Amino acid sequence: MMLEATTSIENTGFAGTVGDITANNPRMTTRNVNVHYGDKQAIIDVSLDIGRNEVIALIGPSGCGKSTFLRCLNRMNDTIDICHVSGEIKLDEQDIYDKKLDVVPLRAQVGMVFQKPNPFPKSIYDNIAYGPRIHGLTTNKTELDQVVEVSLRRAGLWNEVKDRLLQPGTGLSGGQQQRLCIARAIAVSPEVILMDEPCSALDPIATAKIEELIDELRENFTIVIVTHSMQQAARVSQRTAYFHLGHLIEVGKTEDIFTKPQHKLTEDYITGRFG
Amino acid sequence: MNEMTEGHIVSGYNDELNHLHQTVLQMRDLVRLQLKNALKSLQDEDVAAARAVIKHDQKINALDIQADDAIIQLIAKRQPMAKDLREILTVGKIVSDLERMGDQARWVARLTIRFYEGESLPPQQQLLTDISKMGSYVDTMVDATITAFDQLNLQRAIEVIHKDQALESEFKSALRRLSTYLLEDARNVGHIADVVLALRALERIGGHAKNIAGHVLFLIHGKDMRHASLEMISAELGITSDR
Repeated sequence: MMLEATTSIENTGFAGTVGDITANNPRMTTRNVNVHYGDKQAIIDVSLDIGRNEVIALIGPSGCGKSTFLRCLNRMNDTIDICHVSGEIKLDEQDIYDKKLDVVPLRAQVGMVFQKPNPFPKSIYDNIAYGPRIHGLTTNKTELDQVVEVSLRRAGLWNEVKDRLLQPGTGLSGGQQQRLCIARAIAVSPEVILMDEPCSALDPIATAKIEELIDELRENFTIVIVTHSMQQAARVSQRTAYFHLGHLIEVGKTEDIFTKPQHKLTEDYITGRFG
Repeated sequence: MNEMTEGHIVSGYNDELNHLHQTVLQMRDLVRLQLKNALKSLQDEDVAAARAVIKHDQKINALDIQADDAIIQLIAKRQPMAKDLREILTVGKIVSDLERMGDQARWVARLTIRFYEGESLPPQQQLLTDISKMGSYVDTMVDATITAFDQLNLQRAIEVIHKDQALESEFKSALRRLSTYLLEDARNVGHIADVVLALRALERIGGHAKNIAGHVLFLIHGKDMRHASLEMISAELGITSDR
């Protein structure tokens, strides 16, 4: 269910993020991030570390800024003219908003999977091979074949598609298409994978397969997932961050957030009490 | 009804949680009534009333099962989180404790039947004094512990834990007194054994009330302190442990 964020922050005495925003040996660090769309401020002074090999879930009502924050992490917001991002966002100590930085390799390092599966109108093979080809990650066909196979295996799709690699990716089921998009993201060996409601267009079985995949991918990647499903956040993540009206209200271990949250806004949201 | 059971966008969820909450209060009322009637049957030497107590325990058992069914439905339908989850888990444990309290009240009723049914010689009244005294004390514990749950009242929950310590001392004193009666006249041994069983049942009711107080602390604070000492609880919650 979509909830509108109508509860006023001021009435609840918001005085900074509750919980530990830091992570040991973080993969990404964000400090004092502010995002404006024209005059409207969508993210207000958010600081949060993304830990190595962790799944962190960003939750909150519609319009709370969680997707905007996610899109800051690989500069996807650059594609929106009126969007202005300030503050500090680093990937392995590298400032990703450095003017000299090329966003194309950044987006390979920080890959993204969207709400609706969006395979290229190409074959299954080419969907995976596209990234390694443009980034020059392989030198010959054998290597490329290997990357395609490994990526599809990691995405749990290999056995379902190995006999029809040259058929269009768009001919797969919704769940298979989403796993194809995940395979496409991991084919370029990213460090971080951003997932923006990756299961919202999928049935429960396809959702379960993606969740299982997320758990497996954690061994090799760091995952930031935006989800509207609290149960999904509880199932797949180790840390959860709750956003409300552009503020990061609370962050903590997932097991604590869903059983004994500290902030009333978090409690009200996860128990379905926003009026 | 309290803040735990209100305020959801889905009003059906409020209704279901409220209904579950009311079931606990209803069980509390029944347990207290059963205890009162069992003690009264002993005082009045009324075997028929004692039999009624034993029969009516089924009502408490039925509510226990009804609450468990409602909990299963709530978990499956609503996937409760945070304080809702704690409320539901807590109620599951509370109803279990209340059901066992009902079973213990039956022990007191059985005593009435053993003593006053048939032609055998009834016990001396002095042997029964502690039952009446401990029974009244335990009744206040049952009331206080469910009030703590109903009102999310931390202080009352702590009071119940204190009271359980006092009850334990009272139980030991009663056993000492009964030993002296036994030394005075060994023919009391049969009656005394039965009285000890009834006192033990009352002491168990107090123990269940204390368990419930522990569940209430978890409900309010999200920390399981069932096995912590009073000092540890007071330090953790930052409250004074004076009665």
